[in-house]
Amino acid sequence: MKPSAFEYEVPESLDAALATLAQLGDEAKLLAGGQSLIPMLALRLTAFEHLVDIGPLAELKGIRREDGFLRIGAATVDRVVGRDPEVAASVPLLTKVTPLIGHFQIRNRGTIGGSIAHADSAAEYPTVALALDAEMEVASSSGTRTIPADEFFESTWTTSLEGDEILTAIRFPVWSGRCGFGVEELARRHGDFALTGAVCGVEIGDSGEVRRCAIALLGMDSTPVRASPAESALLGRTPSAEDLTEVGHLAVQAADPPSDLHASSEYRRQVGGEMVRRALRQALEEAAR
Amino acid sequence: MQLKNNFTVAAPVDEAWKVLLDVERVARCMPGATLDGADGDEFKGRVKVKVGPIVVTYQGTAKFVQKDEQAHRAVIDASGKESRGSGTAKATVTTALTGRGDETEVSVVTDLNITGRPAQFGRGVISDVAGKLTDKFAENLAAELSGPGTPDLGPSAAAGTNGAGGGHADETPAAGSPVGGRPAGAVSGAPSAARDDDVIDLLGVSTAPVLKRLLPVLAGVGVLALLIFLLRRSGAKS
Repeated sequence: MKPSAFEYEVPESLDAALATLAQLGDEAKLLAGGQSLIPMLALRLTAFEHLVDIGPLAELKGIRREDGFLRIGAATVDRVVGRDPEVAASVPLLTKVTPLIGHFQIRNRGTIGGSIAHADSAAEYPTVALALDAEMEVASSSGTRTIPADEFFESTWTTSLEGDEILTAIRFPVWSGRCGFGVEELARRHGDFALTGAVCGVEIGDSGEVRRCAIALLGMDSTPVRASPAESALLGRTPSAEDLTEVGHLAVQAADPPSDLHASSEYRRQVGGEMVRRALRQALEEAAR
Repeated sequence: MQLKNNFTVAAPVDEAWKVLLDVERVARCMPGATLDGADGDEFKGRVKVKVGPIVVTYQGTAKFVQKDEQAHRAVIDASGKESRGSGTAKATVTTALTGRGDETEVSVVTDLNITGRPAQFGRGVISDVAGKLTDKFAENLAAELSGPGTPDLGPSAAAGTNGAGGGHADETPAAGSPVGGRPAGAVSGAPSAARDDDVIDLLGVSTAPVLKRLLPVLAGVGVLALLIFLLRRSGAKS
């Protein structure tokens, strides 16, 4: 099937894009990489009268380190994020999750901002943004604002972005000290959406005790979920293998996984716990090196 | 699927019953819906539902099919068709009142059935969406039943109403300006001020949930399986 007819606009600047958006309102949809939107249009799950292509805007690209943060332009494609040396040095979790995103063709066009604004709970970038307490830089024709990750993801494919706003960049805090990161997810076939998964980061002290911990789950609820109780449970401890299994069980209790055609909620809970355990183990091993 | 809501209102049962029977007032409790006309026990309208990028508009009717004065029980049958597409949504809403002196306990049970394309997102999304809809309907109904005349239209009531009847053109938008201790929400003095036909962003906090037609449930497992397969497979990842 083909999308319903639409007008295609390519604004020349961010301001022009914002003006167009403010003017067209509900009838317009932003297009960046199109890797989530175009399939929905093609399947006619949705239709818009105007597509406003912000993919080419230079103002929305670029990766730079800024004072404790790594700022990534929203229209930066996944492939670039995944291969960038600054990203690998500052926010290695992004480098680790990128190869898990779909297939390389998707990563060549899909953008990090698009993924985060689309807010699929099984997507890797939104989950990393939540785990690392990223900040979303947002612009509208009336100004700019910053939304912290824990206020950004509201529900299925729904964020706190208003209809006339554009996500312009994402700022990821950079961790310091002896830290390590891990990601583990389960999909039936390579490139499928994950049925369940976990991303995590740990920082350990001199004796291997956990000083800082972040765990977020994907595919386990209507949005990515931060497993805060599990994080607290690890603080100050030097966890054994059994401890990690226990933390895995605790982590999935923070989510209310759906039952659907792909997996039951019970399956997601069980496997999710194991994903957390493995991701934590990866992170701890990396931190200890 | 079935959804249940229970709440208590500060009005004696007979008062609450009268409000429940008022088609226009009950219809207004469906935030985001536009009432196109009311004729006795039947009302016509439109409801726009948004789940992220998915937007579905339903057009249809709702009517009282049962009014039991003794048991204080009313049943509303609502059905609608997608305006762009072939999906449908049907809901049977059973409301029962139990008097408790100056207060009334209200129970709302919604039986929902959806068909059509946009619904193949698995039970999780549908019941999530449906739940929020009925929750908001119940909340608005509670406000409506609690006080005379002034409906709690919820935060999404924007100016520029477009529904039936004249009355006041402006509904105070958003930001919860409670009146007389009622739950926060826009207040309008207009008895027939219908909701704006803006998209109801069901899952967003800024819009007043309305008893929108729930997303159609995919009819036929085969189509469901195919569409999920295609959607996931075709790399619906940005």
